Amino acid sequence: MNARSPIIHKAGIARRAGEHNADPITTEVVRHALNSAANQMKRALIRTAFSPVIYEVLDFAVAIYDPEYRLLAQAPSLPMFMGTLNFCIEAAVEAIGGREKLYDGDMLMYNWPYGTGSHPQDLVVIMPVYLRGETLIGYTAIKGHWLDIGAKDPYCTDTVDVFQEGTVYPGVKIYKRGELNDDIYRMILANSRVPKAVAGDLDAQVTGCRVGARSFLEVVERYGLESFTGAIEAMFDHGERVVRSYFEKIPDGRYVGRGEMDDNGVTKDSIPFEIAVEVSGSNVRIDFSLVPDEQGGPVNCPLPSTISASRVAITMLAGYGEAPHEGHFRPIEVVTRPGSMFHPEPPAPCFLYGWPALQAIEVIYNAISKALPKAVPASSGGCICSVVWWGRREATGEPWADGAPHPTGQGAWDGGDGGTMLHISESATRFTPIEVWEARNPWLIECLALAQDSGGAGRHRGGAGLELHFRMLEETNITTVFERSKNKPWGLEGGGEGRANNARVRMPSGEVLDIPKTTRFVVPKGGVLELKTGGGGGYGPPSERPREMVEHDLREGYISAEFAARHYPHAG
Amino acid sequence: MATRIGVDIGGTFTDLVYYDEGSGQTTEGKVPTVPHAPEEGVVAAIKGHVPPAVIEAAEFFLHGTTVGLNALLERRGAKVGLIATEGFRDVLEIRRGDRTEMYNLFWKQPAPLVPRRLRLEVPERMMANGQVFRPLEEGAVAPIVAAFAAEDVDSIAVCLMNAYANPAHELRVEALIREAGFTGGISLSHRISGEYREYERTSTTVIDAFVRARMSNYLRRLDERLRELGFKGTSLITRSGGGSMTFAEAEERPFETIMSGPVGGAQGASELATALDIRALITADVGGTSFDTALILDGAAQVLFEGSIDQMPVQTPWVDVRSIGSGGGSIAHVDIGGLMRVGPRSAGAVPGPACYGKGGTEPAMTDAAAVLGMLGTGKLASGINLAFDKASDAIERVGAAIGQNVEATAVGIMRISASAMANAMREVSVEQGLDPREMTLLPFGGAGPLMACLLADELGMQRIVVPPLAGNFSAWGLLGADMVQAAARTRIMPLADENLAFVNDILTELFESIGGRGAHLGRDAEPSARLDLRYRGQEHWLSIDIELEDRAITESVASIADRFRAEYARSFGSTMNDGIEIVSIRATSRIPLPRRQMTPRPIEASGAAEEAFEAYSFRLGKRVPFRLIDRAAIGEAIDGPAIVTESTATLYIDAGWQVRTGAIGELILERKALN
Repeated sequence: MNARSPIIHKAGIARRAGEHNADPITTEVVRHALNSAANQMKRALIRTAFSPVIYEVLDFAVAIYDPEYRLLAQAPSLPMFMGTLNFCIEAAVEAIGGREKLYDGDMLMYNWPYGTGSHPQDLVVIMPVYLRGETLIGYTAIKGHWLDIGAKDPYCTDTVDVFQEGTVYPGVKIYKRGELNDDIYRMILANSRVPKAVAGDLDAQVTGCRVGARSFLEVVERYGLESFTGAIEAMFDHGERVVRSYFEKIPDGRYVGRGEMDDNGVTKDSIPFEIAVEVSGSNVRIDFSLVPDEQGGPVNCPLPSTISASRVAITMLAGYGEAPHEGHFRPIEVVTRPGSMFHPEPPAPCFLYGWPALQAIEVIYNAISKALPKAVPASSGGCICSVVWWGRREATGEPWADGAPHPTGQGAWDGGDGGTMLHISESATRFTPIEVWEARNPWLIECLALAQDSGGAGRHRGGAGLELHFRMLEETNITTVFERSKNKPWGLEGGGEGRANNARVRMPSGEVLDIPKTTRFVVPKGGVLELKTGGGGGYGPPSERPREMVEHDLREGYISAEFAARHYPHAG
Repeated sequence: MATRIGVDIGGTFTDLVYYDEGSGQTTEGKVPTVPHAPEEGVVAAIKGHVPPAVIEAAEFFLHGTTVGLNALLERRGAKVGLIATEGFRDVLEIRRGDRTEMYNLFWKQPAPLVPRRLRLEVPERMMANGQVFRPLEEGAVAPIVAAFAAEDVDSIAVCLMNAYANPAHELRVEALIREAGFTGGISLSHRISGEYREYERTSTTVIDAFVRARMSNYLRRLDERLRELGFKGTSLITRSGGGSMTFAEAEERPFETIMSGPVGGAQGASELATALDIRALITADVGGTSFDTALILDGAAQVLFEGSIDQMPVQTPWVDVRSIGSGGGSIAHVDIGGLMRVGPRSAGAVPGPACYGKGGTEPAMTDAAAVLGMLGTGKLASGINLAFDKASDAIERVGAAIGQNVEATAVGIMRISASAMANAMREVSVEQGLDPREMTLLPFGGAGPLMACLLADELGMQRIVVPPLAGNFSAWGLLGADMVQAAARTRIMPLADENLAFVNDILTELFESIGGRGAHLGRDAEPSARLDLRYRGQEHWLSIDIELEDRAITESVASIADRFRAEYARSFGSTMNDGIEIVSIRATSRIPLPRRQMTPRPIEASGAAEEAFEAYSFRLGKRVPFRLIDRAAIGEAIDGPAIVTESTATLYIDAGWQVRTGAIGELILERKALN
């Protein structure tokens, strides 16, 4: 853990040198066609996937890249994954010996965490795409979360190095010139607790990449390689202009946001950290060099996900609601310090990489709020509040497993109250219907409700957190990952704090245990797991909330009379 | 071949088509829609276009309407109270956790149709296997009804957890609501949908309760007005899932009509595909603000089992018509990054495209078509004379911003629109594992024939069929709608011989519940069934048609499994070795209306009616002479380029396409090599 000097990374690859002739019409048409190709990949994946983690939770990303690993198009899926795929492809291609070792019909598999930015469960399948079987025109790639890949537990919060976190496929060919590589395939099955689901999801990723490759080829064939290339350069330039036009409106300066992680999963100390956002003209630099050193527990965020978090935070704000591509990333620079928790080196544990990454997004907004408070929301619950369950069915002895993130209250902002949904880093993700869960797993769910008084008070109030209680009808193992259980979501401009996240178990004995972050906790038959997700922070002074809005919140039961009297005395 | 009248209410126009058995002729008409009293538009259309003798003789009135949909979109429905299982009243507000606009940091879920204070809970709990975990506390219902009465609730929706597996508690709650003296409408979730997923089922049940009274009033008023005009036949309304239902049944199940708008077109396309023996056909319905496309295979539209309206899911059969916000009124603009975009904002009916001269100044797709000569010399059948100078001015402003002249900008607007539409068509077909290049394109709607050649070129399609009455095709499609009733139930179990008896019991119940809805008109109903099947472990399923004998499955499990695997291979390109399970069982009862005859109109010799002028050819990339022909004058094969006019649409035929009239008056366009 030698602290080293910071490195500056460009989040987007600069314009290719030379003249590229493209008319604005063809550019717009090509942009449409590429997005459509990515959507076709996504549909093929969802329709053939085996795990609810893929088809319900959308824990995947699909995208199309050019030969220089520049993002051409992606389908709506997991934003945090989408920002990492270029690193995955580049690393996988290098691992097998470079482009000259790639052939038409090959498919690569890759999950080395420092190259993917993720834990080993997030496995990337990559297909090189060739025009007329000869000219490499780019790649289709799908990163998907596998239910189990042979880590010390199906889901872990307490690993101390990467080797406890699952089997590593460091860039291998699962298909060679269209033929399945059976040696690798059998290794995959041998290294999972749920081989059937994993095999099914791998097949779905392969199908998706092939569908995408076919549609991508059609686009290039239709316009010809030369005019296609011109069009994508113009498309990238356009995206870059869109993001730059946003940052031109933010005053120049260096703004520091502060966040705090509860603990690193192994030791119990809290981890405060700072991220600086520097705006200069239309450039924005996200500086992670001030963060603490690599942690001894799995809350390290490998570089690709650090850059991805920066890309997500900025394009969600400055992309005007459109699917980002390489051009949108060009105005962004990211500064990291190798050996730090946002740029860990092997074999630092990083199973929970996603939690620092999504904290970083909140902290980046916190920094921007100091430049222009109206531009961003107050803090959300600040977590995806994940639970992974597994066990063996009493009647059949069959193993089962499931996992899901959960909604929290969202931060209020200058334009209105916050809602209740998943964190922006998983903005397309859905959680599973209760009736589907109960048909599948040995549970009886006691409630799914908005928690009264959980959103921060303010001129605009934060969104409510959830109460979601699971009664276990059979003995069940759980791993929970709830961050920000010690720190309440912040308000902005005088707005109040929301409630913090928590997970707790009511044992059949009557004992109640708080378990916001735990691995392989055994809930006995009849025990109840209570998820209490956080509320969003408020925006603006509560005294400015109109009386009729306070009355409305009271009448509808979003707040109690006691809460109203305490925070909104003017409305009494 | 019974005489029948079809009326389709759109946002701008109310379209009418009637078929007169006596003369064998089909006739069309169009009147403005009356938004505050849509039935008056229907009456005006009938009075204005259908002779009294035909009204008297008509056996069926077939209707497509957006009354229910508009009530929902404008939130002008009943005040609804929702009764949920204790612990679950917020399911309607929490939804599924995702954002409709995933790249919008500030997106927030819209206010639910029922506010929180009107969502009340009863202690009870059913389990997924249909067993009672906690009995219903009957005493809890009366206080809820009293609370609703104090709030003047008009109608009550009841959605209890796992009611799809056992409806006993919902039925008991209904009885207790009545005992407590409530006289308004009650919607029980298990009657609306027998499928699992509590949020989707609650949403559908609440929508049903919300539009019920409005729909019922509308249907009664309309029926009364029809009787006054002398109509003595049966009134039918289109279902979102295809086919039609009687007004009486629609009053009971209004949610089934909610997305019936685009169904008429898909239905007409199915009928035409059957008549012309076209195996794979893809529709392109281009209106003023939206573009709808559907895939028709072997004479049938594809049916999905869930859709969504205004960000609210609806769990009901749903003809798979994809819509995007692109049409004749779509406005071209330059975005913040300096690229030209077209739509989704539309000039609408007011002010309309600049070339209509009604005050519009922003360039719409229609303006681009006008400037390029695609609409001919500018005298539209609807009586509008196009103001070319206004169209050109509007386009010039956008063109200046991207450094292009008027002509290049107009070409760009058409190409961008065509590519967005073609992508939607590509996704609809590729999803089914099919290649659009091998299909026939069926364009209709006001601007469908205008876009046909561009779309076919985008997709590499070789053949276009322009139906008779292309501009009013959706109303024409209504005329062929059979009466259909459907019911489904989720029951997850392995596809195994020992379970078939159980499936047959459920089918019997489903057919009985359909029969209980009445209105069978004494004609023979044709029963059919589908099983939703999947590989064990998957969530998404394929719906497989099952052979029935006397309303029971006689087909073997092996044969059902074979067909599932074949369908899976066709859709996804591979199969798996895993076991197959049943998810849901679907029963449908179809009562065919008498078939109608399709007779071509006589071809009118036109002689000197042709005019010559210049228009832009997309295939040649420049302006060339085009012929201007009336549709009725096309007999022998004619080579493009040409503009063909008829009363409700204009057909643009690019160079390299040849057109002729087919057996039932359709125009057949085929691609030829360019010299």
